[in-house]
Amino acid sequence: MELSLVLFLPAAAGVVALLLPAAQEQLARWVALAGSGAAFVLSLVLFFRFDNAAEGYQFTERHTWVSVGDFNLQYYIGVDGLSMPLVLLTTFLTVASVLVSFNITMRPRLYFASLLVLATSVIGVFVALDFLLFFLMWELELFPMFLLIAIWGSGRKEYAATKFVLYTIFGSALMLVSILVLAFDQGTFDIELLTQAEFQDTIIPLNLVFLLLMAGFAIKLPVVPFHTWLPDAHTNAPTAVSVMLAGVLLKMGGYGMIRMGVGILPEQAANWDIWIAGLGAFSVLYGAFITLRQTDVKRLVAYSSVSHMGLVLLGVAALGDTGLTGATYQMVAHGLITGLLFVLIGLMYDRTHTREISQLGGLARQMPLLATGLVFAGFGSLGLPAMAGFIAEITVFIGAFERFEWLTLLAILGVVLSAGYVLWMLQRVVFGPVRHEWDELTDQRAWWEHTTVAALAAVIVLFGVFPSILMDMINPAMEAVAARVVL
Amino acid sequence: MGAEQAWLLAAIPGGMFFVIAMIGRWLPRQADWLGILTIATTFALFFVVLVDFLGTGDGLGPITNSMSWTEIGGFQLDMGIFVDPITIVMLGVITAVALMVNIFSVGYMKGEPRYFWYFALLQGFAASMILLVMADNLLLVYVAWELVGVCSFLLIGFYWERRSAIEAAKKAFITTRVGDVGLLIGIILLWREAGTFNISEIIAFAQDGGYGSTYLFVASFAVFLGAIGKSAQVPFHVWLPDAMEGPTPVSALIHAATMVVAGVYLVARLLPVFEIPEGMMLIITIVGLVTALMTGVIAIAQTDIKKVLAYSTVGQLGFMFIALGAGYPDVAMLHLMTHAFFKALLFLGSGSVILATHHNQEMDKLGGMWRKMPITGTTFLIGSLALAGLPPLAGFWSKDEIWVVTEGAWGAWATILFGVAAVLTAFYTTRLFIRTFMGNPQDEHVYEHTHETGPVMWAPLVFLGVLAVVSGFVIFNEVGTALGFPGGFTEFIFLDEPHVYSIHWDFAAASLAAAVIGIFVGAWMYWGGRLDRATAFANWQPGLFDVARNKFYWDDLYQAGVDRGLLGFSYVVSWFDRYAVNDTGVDGSAQTTGYAGFILKHIQTGKVPNYAMGIAIGVIVLTIAGMAARG
Repeated sequence: MELSLVLFLPAAAGVVALLLPAAQEQLARWVALAGSGAAFVLSLVLFFRFDNAAEGYQFTERHTWVSVGDFNLQYYIGVDGLSMPLVLLTTFLTVASVLVSFNITMRPRLYFASLLVLATSVIGVFVALDFLLFFLMWELELFPMFLLIAIWGSGRKEYAATKFVLYTIFGSALMLVSILVLAFDQGTFDIELLTQAEFQDTIIPLNLVFLLLMAGFAIKLPVVPFHTWLPDAHTNAPTAVSVMLAGVLLKMGGYGMIRMGVGILPEQAANWDIWIAGLGAFSVLYGAFITLRQTDVKRLVAYSSVSHMGLVLLGVAALGDTGLTGATYQMVAHGLITGLLFVLIGLMYDRTHTREISQLGGLARQMPLLATGLVFAGFGSLGLPAMAGFIAEITVFIGAFERFEWLTLLAILGVVLSAGYVLWMLQRVVFGPVRHEWDELTDQRAWWEHTTVAALAAVIVLFGVFPSILMDMINPAMEAVAARVVL
Repeated sequence: MGAEQAWLLAAIPGGMFFVIAMIGRWLPRQADWLGILTIATTFALFFVVLVDFLGTGDGLGPITNSMSWTEIGGFQLDMGIFVDPITIVMLGVITAVALMVNIFSVGYMKGEPRYFWYFALLQGFAASMILLVMADNLLLVYVAWELVGVCSFLLIGFYWERRSAIEAAKKAFITTRVGDVGLLIGIILLWREAGTFNISEIIAFAQDGGYGSTYLFVASFAVFLGAIGKSAQVPFHVWLPDAMEGPTPVSALIHAATMVVAGVYLVARLLPVFEIPEGMMLIITIVGLVTALMTGVIAIAQTDIKKVLAYSTVGQLGFMFIALGAGYPDVAMLHLMTHAFFKALLFLGSGSVILATHHNQEMDKLGGMWRKMPITGTTFLIGSLALAGLPPLAGFWSKDEIWVVTEGAWGAWATILFGVAAVLTAFYTTRLFIRTFMGNPQDEHVYEHTHETGPVMWAPLVFLGVLAVVSGFVIFNEVGTALGFPGGFTEFIFLDEPHVYSIHWDFAAASLAAAVIGIFVGAWMYWGGRLDRATAFANWQPGLFDVARNKFYWDDLYQAGVDRGLLGFSYVVSWFDRYAVNDTGVDGSAQTTGYAGFILKHIQTGKVPNYAMGIAIGVIVLTIAGMAARG
């Protein structure tokens, strides 16, 4: 029951926001804050009640939804050490997204409704234990995203929104084929059963099924060369959507790879591991090289995400519990750090109305707090110790090094490049000669700005200094996944 | 409190960093007193640790205190401290110099913007640096290693409105990060075979022959890259001279006395590992010698007093690596300590001059400062003579000892090269002192407005001046024993390989000769503010002089490498990504689909006769085909 509440509270609040009378439309943000806040508090309660020692899924709920012949479409949800942190990350970033949207005046009811439905669909992806429910939630996320980018975006927003949706649907189509093949072989969509299943004679070879499945997730993560939707979507999306996109939507891909890819088809994962690791290391470097050349702050962070998600792929490919734990930790860390980066860039954009790095500079004078935040988040992004990203990176490196020495060494080189693009960006945006055209602008001032930035920064440090909070939860779940892999 | 609680030395300034950063702005005097109080407490606690450590009496074995940080399946990250004689020396140097720098900064930074932030960063740096030298495992060393790097970045870029300052900060961070990648790889390599990050266990594992020879060479070389990145040795030395963009007290603390010696510390700590693979010690020695010689030449051609001191620092760090390459960590630590005191003194002295002359650090505009600033001048002279290596000042003893061990380890060629570097050091130091403090003022306007700085600034100079005179005496076993170190300082540093000091009269004489030659030539060339002899020399060999003045073109080489190589390659990748992957691959496939739809839509005309015609043709074709099939 609690998990269902976490899942549906945001969407319910979204419906309420949508139904507000037009005269009261400015109330929508408060409704959204209440709904997302309640979901966050509740998921926090679940996080603390979560039993790290217990095996399998917790807080499960199972109802038969549609029954056709042998097939049951179930409403079956639950969390384990992999999904619990991601659920908490989602509810947390949803609150942050609502807060940074507090100054939205254009059609706020529809805006907040879309944002909250988006939150529910992402939570749904993480908690669904039925493959069709998972797929439903996966697809549901597209609709609010399309609206959010196409209506409240900027620049080539229609292009970006369409590209995002078409690209994801393309991946979903491939994914659906493999879902059906697996389900017809076993006669169930139950992910728990599929994870333990021995597949006999599937219609198409399991290696191909694995690749189709991974293709869908690879687009979402994204993995080079399927990444070009990401910079366009990020650049043209409003701040809150960038936060959600980088913070949690990308993680759907990484989650799917671990839960479905490695979880259901460990043998096939082992067949392809070197290719996956290769793509991971390639994404790290390829993304980092491109990031070095970006001149738009948002695009820069978007491409850095490609690079950072390459580490997730590398950790997954290692197929050991350390690598998988590192990949999961990297997803959480990247969600927080890049979320904070997008929040700060969004707040700066609200003031300066430009994201062109060459037009910025010296903002530490006019906006000392925002500048401090950006420096902090920048160092988080380049993997500074005492912040969450460092723990994630070191765990991935150690996990991957045991299996892929050279590829890991290549990926470690990305550490230098990340220092390069982060410091270059900071130098041009925050530091350097003061520009007096920005003298009229105000610093971070509103309570919702302070709250969002401070909360994100605090959590980044918390998970960097006390990694056990997450490690002890993630690692047992990953040991269970890794135990089924035979190398 | 005992040595087990030495982690407090890091925790107290660490906590104070947050306090001053967050509320320092609103405290009286922007909390500078709180910074001094914090470091003074740390300095006092150092003595508590020292007394407790010396008092344990069980052969000065290391004191450890460790706890689990996090466990990830098969491997565990620990957080723990390790206090042994090397740590003790480092702690003493760090806390003493940090205290002096904090006090000096009250005068030097007076009236600067972001005053509280400066003091917050000093605390943050002290905490990270103390953590670095106490960490009992390599991963924690790496954590602290990066944290001192960030403090250094923020302090070099303290005047971030100046483009040059923030460029220098970026250069420092990225250059050292290249080395850090090596360090990280080295740590992972050492960990993988030994199954632990713990330094003592790794050393024991290596000494038991746990690592293969080639493997250990690669691993230790990777660690060495990190060490020479932080300690600014060739080819990573380029960041340190630029780092002089930071406030001068910062240069004294971070870029002379403490952070830059982290590499020396790390190699000294892991020396038993470095000694095993063949050739590693030679590499260390060569890097140290090349650095010392090259920076000695470069320093001669610099006119910015801080740049001279920066190149001098790089060279002196080279001396420490030479001692390590000879296999004597105690000698390296001795020079580390004496150098920390006299170089911090020189930097703070230059800061005193810079403040007194309203931010003038060009020798071409100085001269005759001694008359105006007697205390600064006298202490600077002491520091200079210590750097030049004149007995009985501190620098003489440690440098002499390095020379002795170099000869013992490598023979004539290294001995001679070291001697050349020693002469160069004495020469550029003399040039620096004469051109700044003696002769006639080069710029009357600057000279007239100069006056001695206040006691908050000269008191630290006097304190460090005293140390620059006496700290070398610990080399004598009688002095060390009297100070409470069992068996004297040298035995104190390395118990398992006690190294007995005896005065080598031949080396002492040579060392004295090197210093005197350097000083004499320097004085002959520059005495009384004359520059004609130096100009004549520069004109005699213009090419050589250009090479020295342009720092052997290292910076130009790297700049070209970054601009043309790295950024050029990134440009190609970005172009490929945009035009090949996105426009052709992604948008192209979308356009192809759209175009196919555009063509195929002509089939759907919506006119009944067209469809009827289609049906008719279909029927006829099928009928004929059916009949043909039937035969």
